[in-house]
Amino acid sequence: MSQLKPEIQTQRMTETLQDVKKIQFWLDKAVAWSQNKSPDTLRDISRHLRKLCAYLQQLLIHVNSLSSTTEAMEKLPFMGQLLGRLCWNFHVTANDTSREVLFQCLWALYSEHPSNAVERKANQWIQNVLCHFATEEGDGPQAVMKGLFLPLHEYYLKVLGKSVSLLQEEIVKSCSSLGGINSRCSCDKILATSEACVPLVTCGDAAPLIGALLQRAETCVQAVLSEDFLHALNTAYSSKCLVLEEQSVVSLWCHSLSTLEEAVLSLLESVVTNTATTPQKMLEKVSQSLLPKACAQNCSIFLVVNDIFRSTMKHAEGNENMKSLIQLFSLCFLKEHAQLQTQMYLPLKYFFPQTSQSLLIPMSTLPSEMPQEAWRLHLNWLSSSLQRLTEEEEKGDGGSGSHRGLHKVFEAWFLLVQCSHWVQVALQLLSTNDLRDCSALLWLLTFYHHPTNRGHHRTMQLVRSQKLWKHLHSLFLNLAHPPSVDQLQPLITLLTSPPPQQPPLAPTLILSLLVNFAVFFQSGPTHILQMVVDGSGLLQEVVCVLSSLELRLSEGSCRESDTNRVHIRIKELQKSLDTCVQYGPWSPAVNQTHSLTHTVKR
Amino acid sequence: MESVLKNVSSSVELLAVAAHSSVVEHWQEQTVSRAFQWASYCEHLHSRFHSNPTVRGTIEKQIQQTNQHLLSAFPGCTQVCFSDLSRLRHLLLQGLLTNPKLPLSIMKTLFDSKHPAERTYSENQDVHGLCNYIVRCKSACKVLRLLTDSLAVGAVGADAEVLGETLMERLEAVMSQSGDLCKAEHFLDSVLQGGEGATPHLCVVISAALLTRKKSAAETASHAVLLDWLLKRHSTLKHMVTEAPTALITDLVKRHLKFRDAYCNVLKEWASDMEYSLSEGEWTTQTNPTLTFQNLTQHFLTLFEACPSVRAEVEKELNILKKSDGDFEVGGLSVWGDLLSALNQ
Repeated sequence: MSQLKPEIQTQRMTETLQDVKKIQFWLDKAVAWSQNKSPDTLRDISRHLRKLCAYLQQLLIHVNSLSSTTEAMEKLPFMGQLLGRLCWNFHVTANDTSREVLFQCLWALYSEHPSNAVERKANQWIQNVLCHFATEEGDGPQAVMKGLFLPLHEYYLKVLGKSVSLLQEEIVKSCSSLGGINSRCSCDKILATSEACVPLVTCGDAAPLIGALLQRAETCVQAVLSEDFLHALNTAYSSKCLVLEEQSVVSLWCHSLSTLEEAVLSLLESVVTNTATTPQKMLEKVSQSLLPKACAQNCSIFLVVNDIFRSTMKHAEGNENMKSLIQLFSLCFLKEHAQLQTQMYLPLKYFFPQTSQSLLIPMSTLPSEMPQEAWRLHLNWLSSSLQRLTEEEEKGDGGSGSHRGLHKVFEAWFLLVQCSHWVQVALQLLSTNDLRDCSALLWLLTFYHHPTNRGHHRTMQLVRSQKLWKHLHSLFLNLAHPPSVDQLQPLITLLTSPPPQQPPLAPTLILSLLVNFAVFFQSGPTHILQMVVDGSGLLQEVVCVLSSLELRLSEGSCRESDTNRVHIRIKELQKSLDTCVQYGPWSPAVNQTHSLTHTVKR
Repeated sequence: MESVLKNVSSSVELLAVAAHSSVVEHWQEQTVSRAFQWASYCEHLHSRFHSNPTVRGTIEKQIQQTNQHLLSAFPGCTQVCFSDLSRLRHLLLQGLLTNPKLPLSIMKTLFDSKHPAERTYSENQDVHGLCNYIVRCKSACKVLRLLTDSLAVGAVGADAEVLGETLMERLEAVMSQSGDLCKAEHFLDSVLQGGEGATPHLCVVISAALLTRKKSAAETASHAVLLDWLLKRHSTLKHMVTEAPTALITDLVKRHLKFRDAYCNVLKEWASDMEYSLSEGEWTTQTNPTLTFQNLTQHFLTLFEACPSVRAEVEKELNILKKSDGDFEVGGLSVWGDLLSALNQ
């Protein structure tokens, strides 16, 4: 122990020296900042604001670990001087983060029960500073304000609003670059202005100014924003402290790739972590994220977002939530894109440079945009085009072009995921009494769930889907004799314990086909769905398929004459599933067999 | 009325307690909230009755009585007057923050920064984060002031513009209540301290008020009243012309014909006061030591630039004055002659 002592002492001395050096560094900064307010000083403040907050945070932890203000004064003799200087620096007090930590440091130095003159003096000083902060202004304005019965807080609020609108106006009119290519523009001021606005990024009252800076920099090449400004905005965005109007957020995404990535990732995360979410809630989240609108307005934003989606799909192709998210996102995007005014409109082909252009328009057309009579034909065409594409690419598989071929198939499949409204229409058409040749529809459905023959075994799964479809058809066709549990067992087994030696048919394919049959098959029995749910325990999944169907139909993809009937049918099914929620198959009170027999008896 | 008087009295007492009593030690957030509600009530009373002489008089009397009575309890206590009711929340805050017995918990509440960022002070009675909000606005104003100054945005600065606009609003209100011009003048005297010893700040506020742009009939009438008030206070006018930046004078000359004429008269008056100093070899004046002959020439040029049509007329006048001085073409003999040649250089 005795040998360690000198080492500990040396370490402590080094730490103290570092502490002294650090505080001296910040004290020097504070002194320099208070001496002039030249552009260089402002730039230096903006550049150091984040580090200053981090330092004050450290200081706060240190002070809180000490027993009293007296001890703090002894150990950190320059601290009072530093805080004092910073309190009078309105760039520091304007910033929400630095002001908060500054106040906390003051509270840490305030002694509720002062025990000596030093502590009493510190308390008095703190109170004076705070009083000055909140209630004083120069004598001149204060005298006029008194005569005008204008309270100080109202005065500040008005002056702030006025300054913001004056500067905003200046920024808007400063740029003449739209007037002609040779006209000079004074947007070089934007850099200095953005630097000065670093402390104000989270100030809601200054939001119009921040927005004007972001938007100007988007339209004028000479308007450059300071890195510190973008960094501060990004930090504020991550901690959800940013109060900007929609258009400004879009502009921010144009300037700051990391902020855009963060927005997309947070949307993906909200979907991945919340598996119990409904399609309606997901749609709400997607449109609230503002991303579809931003994507429609700005092609480069779309390309970034789509690239993130693409790489996510490459790693999580089986994640149904992710597929739904991408589909809903594309739906919102296509709608926003269609609503754009001519001057902002850019054809879709620029948004999908990697996609086969012959497929793009037919896929991105919404079912509601064409007569329902044409759906089958349209789907047949889509299916045969995709089939041709995959066969052509797969022919060359294993050869030199295999990687490129696979890439093409992936892009076609990814487009189908984005435009899976057509898969849903295929499901709807497959689930009616219409017994016309459905092989093209079944191929499309299988391709959606099992895109390749490599790991997905598409050809094999196609045979199974055909078998499944025929089985469901016969189940729902037999009106006179509702199916028994035995008749449903193969279906339940397929869902719960598929043959182990073979790759299983995607459960979502089975369930969506079943749900569509339950909804669209004219006069089909209603309780098949409930029996399968009871037998398989896949209540959540079925509820989800049903609500996503409901959501699609509410978007107008249903014959008007059928709308009512279909909605009543969905409500009936939801109601019957509600009883499963109350007495679920895994509920301890009701055992599975009982539930199943009970349903059959009904 | 009796209950109103009682409430005013209690609120004034509350203010004294907040500022001077050790009872504050036991105050809690709710206590402070209620105190602010009372203060807000008094502000409301003020805005309702300040232009009603009878009610105002009665309340004033009540406040005086309360003041007397408070002096015995708190000898150093600040006397409150009727117009203080208009900013009672501010005074309450000031009182609380200067009271050494104010508990730390209340300070923390007032300066709390964890509160939702946006709030409208006027409509919100919540004291949570109130001071944090004020400090934030105040600091942001100063940050932006540096920017508006460096970019030379706005003729007078946002602060003077706000005060100028408020001055016009209040003046319009006074004039709409009674057509009595004396009342309007009295109001201006009270706000602008009779114009005596006008600070540079006050001059800028008056300029800002004269430059507001609502383009309503009421505004035109109020501008006329304010302008008359200013022209009657000759020293204020001269002070304003000396202090104001050229751009501001140009704007005023362009906006107000009466101001243009008055400005021109001030310049002629300054010129006539000038004497040629043989030792310094230039025109100087005792009445306005900071004014140089170059300044004066610049002022005339500002006037001509703002209003080119006035140039011929002024030059004609200067020529007549030059002739009356003997019409010599030698420098240092007639200020008018030297001015004319300086202006035509």
